[in-house]
Amino acid sequence: MTRFSIKIAGASGGGLLSMGDIILKALKNMGFYLVAEREYPSVIKGGHACFNVTASEEPIYALREEVDLMMAIDSFSLKIYIDSLKNGGILVHGQERVIEGKEAIEKAKAKGVKEVHLPIRTVALESGGNVLMSNVVLLGMMWKALGLDYKYIEAEVTERFKNKPKLLEADLKCLKAGYDRTEKIMDIKMPGKVPETILMEGNKAIALGAVHAGCRAYFAYPMSPASTILTHMANFAAKTGILVKQVEDEISVASMTLGAMHMGTRAFCATSGGGFDLMTETVSLSGMIECPLVIVVAQRPGPATGMPTWTCQADLDLAIYAAHGEFTRLVLAAGDPSDAFDLTQHAFNYAEKFQIPVVLLTEKGIAETHWTIPMFEQGKIPIERGLVEGEELKKLVNEDRYRITGNGVSKRWVPGASDAYYFANSDEHLEDGSLTEDAEPSRKMIEKRMRKMQTLEEALPEPEIYGDSGGAADISFVGWGSSKNVMRDIIEQYAEKNVKVNYLHFSFLFPLKTEVLKKFFKENNNVNLIEGNYQGQLGNLIEAKTGLKFKGRLLKYNGRPFYLNDLEKFIDANL
Amino acid sequence: MTKKMDKKTRDELIAKADKLLKYETGKVITWCGNCGNYGIQNAFMRALVLEGLERKDFALFFDIGCSGNGADKFEANTLHGLHGRTISTAAGAALANDKMKVIAFAGDGATFSEGVNHLVHGVRNNFPLVFVHHNNENYGLTIGQASATTRCGVKMNGTPDGVVVEPINPLQFVLSLDPTFVARGFSGDVDHLTELFRLALRHKGFAYLEILQSCPTYNRTTPEDWYASRVKYVEDLKDYDCHDIWAARKLVQDMDKEIYLGLIYENNGRKDFLSLQKSREGRETSLVEEVRRYDVRALI
Repeated sequence: MTRFSIKIAGASGGGLLSMGDIILKALKNMGFYLVAEREYPSVIKGGHACFNVTASEEPIYALREEVDLMMAIDSFSLKIYIDSLKNGGILVHGQERVIEGKEAIEKAKAKGVKEVHLPIRTVALESGGNVLMSNVVLLGMMWKALGLDYKYIEAEVTERFKNKPKLLEADLKCLKAGYDRTEKIMDIKMPGKVPETILMEGNKAIALGAVHAGCRAYFAYPMSPASTILTHMANFAAKTGILVKQVEDEISVASMTLGAMHMGTRAFCATSGGGFDLMTETVSLSGMIECPLVIVVAQRPGPATGMPTWTCQADLDLAIYAAHGEFTRLVLAAGDPSDAFDLTQHAFNYAEKFQIPVVLLTEKGIAETHWTIPMFEQGKIPIERGLVEGEELKKLVNEDRYRITGNGVSKRWVPGASDAYYFANSDEHLEDGSLTEDAEPSRKMIEKRMRKMQTLEEALPEPEIYGDSGGAADISFVGWGSSKNVMRDIIEQYAEKNVKVNYLHFSFLFPLKTEVLKKFFKENNNVNLIEGNYQGQLGNLIEAKTGLKFKGRLLKYNGRPFYLNDLEKFIDANL
Repeated sequence: MTKKMDKKTRDELIAKADKLLKYETGKVITWCGNCGNYGIQNAFMRALVLEGLERKDFALFFDIGCSGNGADKFEANTLHGLHGRTISTAAGAALANDKMKVIAFAGDGATFSEGVNHLVHGVRNNFPLVFVHHNNENYGLTIGQASATTRCGVKMNGTPDGVVVEPINPLQFVLSLDPTFVARGFSGDVDHLTELFRLALRHKGFAYLEILQSCPTYNRTTPEDWYASRVKYVEDLKDYDCHDIWAARKLVQDMDKEIYLGLIYENNGRKDFLSLQKSREGRETSLVEEVRRYDVRALI
């Protein structure tokens, strides 16, 4: 078998995260590639939650809805999640005496689900542990049922509790008891080697990308699923000297970020759709005074509060059309942590070189999902600031700042760097920033700012093709964001069945590049859209701009990411 | 009654007249005749010169409205931003480059309506900047609507029967936030206002300067002579302690009869926001000087 999947289900805050963490690290140390996502409600305690891990000897990127093994920490979660076990899967639980959900278990067993059961409280107490350690018994049971080498889980539990030797001794006894008293069901092969990988989630990758790009200030107002960017940036502050400030609202967050960028440092901010709504007036100001601005929007389903801890791709239109007036902007979207690290750096470069607002989109399913990825390639993307430097600063005149140029880009220098000074004016202005309401100068200045759109579009990279790019594929997709993950896995999976699937992925969404896109439509005759929203926002943009037409649209908007089975269903029906 | 500048200071200003002229615009000014903004701009230019600040040493941030329309009539580095956001934009700028003095100007609408949340947190955080509230008791540029400082009963555009609620007392409000610098000046007393600007420019945290400003076009209730006949000077008070917040709060309560100008309150015991940052301890450079490649290996 090439991949196996585990679901750990329990009450929110009931030890789920630490169990998940131990399992992830143990599997990583064995050499597995991993994808792990956490599903949870928007509450701190209570409510059901689960941790999904898929592991493979080969690099993998996406999850399947059904899992091979489910470890139920409590009876409530057992009942909620039991249907996500595949036929023939394994249920690990540890209820005692009256078994709640007995009916559900019997039903599952009728489909061939194998039950792995021990009275874990009793086992924990017998082994010299306490009631809280029953989860560790469960962990031992799960590890054995999967047929995995004991020493890896033992090492990770030891690592976890090494500072509490008394507890550790009891914990290890509980782990061993669970392991020894369970029969091996699966026989998962150890990977041949341990690849050089890091375990990384999207939000941390964004924070690291920003640090790497020389960002020196981060302003924030908490909002799921962007909040942990604040956590990471704040944790990095001591080592990096970055200024991190939580402020009174998103309006101020955006304004402070812009003020800091205006003076010449690199700063950014992150929020979700609702917070971005409040930031949009600043996006407009950034467009007008041609001051770089970088905003990360971590998408969650809306409108309004929507589903704060779930995922979607429904804010592309928001990113493209937010804010009053017409101006040049760039919209990017990350698909995984490697992307997030690179695109954050690109966001700063494009924002500064073109003096525009840049929106970097991510999704809850990227922000808080963990992948094993190769170590980031540092230094790959140079820091490009587009600032006038050195001797040239002495030759500047005020009018250079908003000079009407052929490509729309004028010289930028920061206040105090030159004897030349300027008015960064939210009113329509002349070349030195002086206010004007005259018809001709206004027209010329608006055209100058809009000319940057064309210049920018030419400078952007084309979308990337995954899968076969020569000759027609049996089925093709176009998408953005996390769709890339499910597509990469599905391309491999169908290649084994001799079905050619390919995928055109947009990291740079707006302004839209069309050359490779048109070629992709020309070469493939079954091109479909894949998007995590109701309207097919990228699809509509593509169709409006190019006149091309998608054969079908695979759209999902229930808060869940695209799973492999969603793609299988669509592909099998549309081949 | 006004406070005249002493001779020594006046001589110094005359000697540096060329520096003063450097900031003056050649453009057509769009303020009404007798607008308080002329006096405010004049006092501010003088204060910059007297404090020895060159163009490279400061950055100005303007809100929207009549005060904001001075943004391109002051020959220096300025940013004319969004309504209500000047404190936030200026705060971001001040934190990014603490080697330049940051001064932000806003009217009643920005300070006490659209951006009052930023004022609250600006004072609370003690961001290192000077904030100037142009209090002309109305919205001038949108043709004379009531602001949060328009007096009760006054008939304005949009309130033909008169404003029915009491105004906010700006300094009472700010003093409730544990500020570190609160001063009040009057656009009709440029010499005195110059001195207040100088004090504000020397302050290390958030310096709040309220300026009672005449609006000859829309504010008929409290015109220039109304203020001129009521203003008094803190300096003339015997035993006034500007470090006593309760004395300050008592002093500013009267907005009708005896309106005191001067340095109302100062607390140098509270550090400014940047000085409180553990991550910035011992760093000589400002954030604008630190943009370069950072190795992230140790952070993974």
